[in-house]
Amino acid sequence: MQRGAIAFALALLIAQGGCAAGGRVRTLSLPHALDVADSVYLEVRLGALAGGQEIELSTDNGRRLGVISPHGIRPGRDAGTYTVPVPTEAIRGGRVRIRLITTPAGGTARDANADEVREVRLVVNNAGGGSD
Amino acid sequence: MRYTRRDFMTTAATAVAGSMLPLGSLLAAGPGAQGSDPTARYRRHDVATPEGQRMLVSYARGIEAMLKLPAEHPHNWFRNAFTHFLDCPHGNWWFYVWHRGYVGYFERSIRKLSGDASFAMPFWDWTRHPEIPAAMFDGVLTPTDGAYSPFTGNLLKFTEFVKPSLLKYWNSLSSDQRAQLNSRGYPTFDDAWNDVTGYSLAQKAGLSGNQSYAITCGARYLSRSNPKLDEKTAYDVSPAIVSSGLTPTLFYDPSISNSFASSKTATHLVQPDGSTNFSILEGFPHNKVHNYIGGVGAIDPGPYGNMTNFLSPVDPIFYLHHSNMDRLWDLWTKKQLAAGLPILPTGDDLATFLAEPFLFYVDGDGGFVGPAKAGDYVSTRVFDYDYGPGFGSDLPVAPKRKSGATKYGVIKGGVEAGAASLLLPNTLVEQHLASAQPASLIAEVTLDRPEGVAVTREFDVLVNAPADVERVDANSPYYAGTLAFFGPTMPNMAMSHSATFAVPLPKTLRAFSNAKLLGANAQLNIRLAPSGKQPADPVPVRGVSIKPAG
Repeated sequence: MQRGAIAFALALLIAQGGCAAGGRVRTLSLPHALDVADSVYLEVRLGALAGGQEIELSTDNGRRLGVISPHGIRPGRDAGTYTVPVPTEAIRGGRVRIRLITTPAGGTARDANADEVREVRLVVNNAGGGSD
Repeated sequence: MRYTRRDFMTTAATAVAGSMLPLGSLLAAGPGAQGSDPTARYRRHDVATPEGQRMLVSYARGIEAMLKLPAEHPHNWFRNAFTHFLDCPHGNWWFYVWHRGYVGYFERSIRKLSGDASFAMPFWDWTRHPEIPAAMFDGVLTPTDGAYSPFTGNLLKFTEFVKPSLLKYWNSLSSDQRAQLNSRGYPTFDDAWNDVTGYSLAQKAGLSGNQSYAITCGARYLSRSNPKLDEKTAYDVSPAIVSSGLTPTLFYDPSISNSFASSKTATHLVQPDGSTNFSILEGFPHNKVHNYIGGVGAIDPGPYGNMTNFLSPVDPIFYLHHSNMDRLWDLWTKKQLAAGLPILPTGDDLATFLAEPFLFYVDGDGGFVGPAKAGDYVSTRVFDYDYGPGFGSDLPVAPKRKSGATKYGVIKGGVEAGAASLLLPNTLVEQHLASAQPASLIAEVTLDRPEGVAVTREFDVLVNAPADVERVDANSPYYAGTLAFFGPTMPNMAMSHSATFAVPLPKTLRAFSNAKLLGANAQLNIRLAPSGKQPADPVPVRGVSIKPAG
């Protein structure tokens, strides 16, 4: 099947930002300077969450990126992978710095742990094109 | 959206016999891809418009009629919701088409029961109007209304009302239907009923957040005094998110960021789990609106309102929500047609997608539809409707970009001593160098991630580098990019440690300039070298193939 877009995923190391107030910052670097037609996404793979538990994504300076709210997941199952569009203004110096926060029922907001967020990947798509 | 025969042939990479095309003799030469279809008999309007508001009057009349029906009647309000509970796909590529059928038959039901022959389900455009429409708090349009309390006043009332007839229905199911329910995780009726009550066999206790039943007073979290989507939900339905969700160029792509639909699965009954890839529109606006209306985030850990779990159609807002999701699918389809791109899965996937059996629908007259297929519902023509304007109607359509050398297909490399070699035809190299795209050739490189105490996670892709070159910088004429693994290896992770990366090949590679200079084919030798300054062993290439982008 011919692809209508170029997609390449480079999974990058987390830069440990320490446990600063507001949650740990994870840094992902773009593989290259973006072309005008490029779109950037995060692919976030979740583990098993409690019923009603959500993952909030934001940049390190507080810009909201979205809330993953799993729906239809049977109890105890991993919640799947979600695609999060990254607006260009969230990219600084070729990097995307994000926080992933969750608020358990009756608890306080905290960093999502490795059981809850298993993996975060940065994906760049060069949209357009099509099959011939 | 009405599709012509040519439109469907565009989607099929293989020769599909005419009889397999989903609309058969119903195919019509519809209008161009943009704009509403003037030949549609029914027009679904934005609920915020006068036409949409008028439809709510008929909608309420239909709901009242359905609430009065006995539990044995397939059109009873709660029995109708159980069709969704038992059969709805989520997190897979049948999500849109199944819900199109479900909403379409429901719309016919309301048309009949309300007495309004012109009824068309309005859509809730939450991008433009991020709050529940005010009229949806009037009378039976909210599940918290007193009209529901004889049935949902407490779990005992609900059980006594619906369980006996539901069990009778269960016992009448065909073997094919039972097989589908079994694959859904409901081998017995009790298993299904446990999802109604939230009872967990494993925990031997009720889990309030998993309860599909909702008590009348808690059936919807949002209220007339609190109708707005909160900031987080409003972001998830914002123009930025929805526009992104409309940009994929394929109905299904394993690279989920370019896939309009979620994962390809074996059947539509497969419940989402860790292997599910959610597309943007299903993963964000669809899910978050469902959950927030039921109270997720506000009244955790539950019990939630109807919209949070699979009896969500008990809340009448469900159909306006899914009408908007369907509208976005229709918009995406129009965009694809305008750009000359496929509107459905391609190749062998198309037949698989179209042939999926849907066995539980109830038609507008209250009878069972009987065995149907996904292909029966891919066009809006089956229910003869189109949409009025809403968010996204005016989004620009990207012109189709012609890809470069497509006649060569995929060029596979041979692997020896941990490196791969391939021969690229000179014509392909020249097209690559002349292409307007920054990288019209993509190398798919497969490697095994080092395990154990290995700390190296990043590897540079070297093309035709001399044997004594072990480290390069990004300006090197041999450098094609860096592959990097995210996170540590996890010993209990049951997954393959092989990974394939798609590497766009820069035009600056010396391999290409030499080939062009000589007018010769390009012999590429590709190997991997540890990136960074730490000493480490190289990692072998397991496979390489090169394909044109697009």
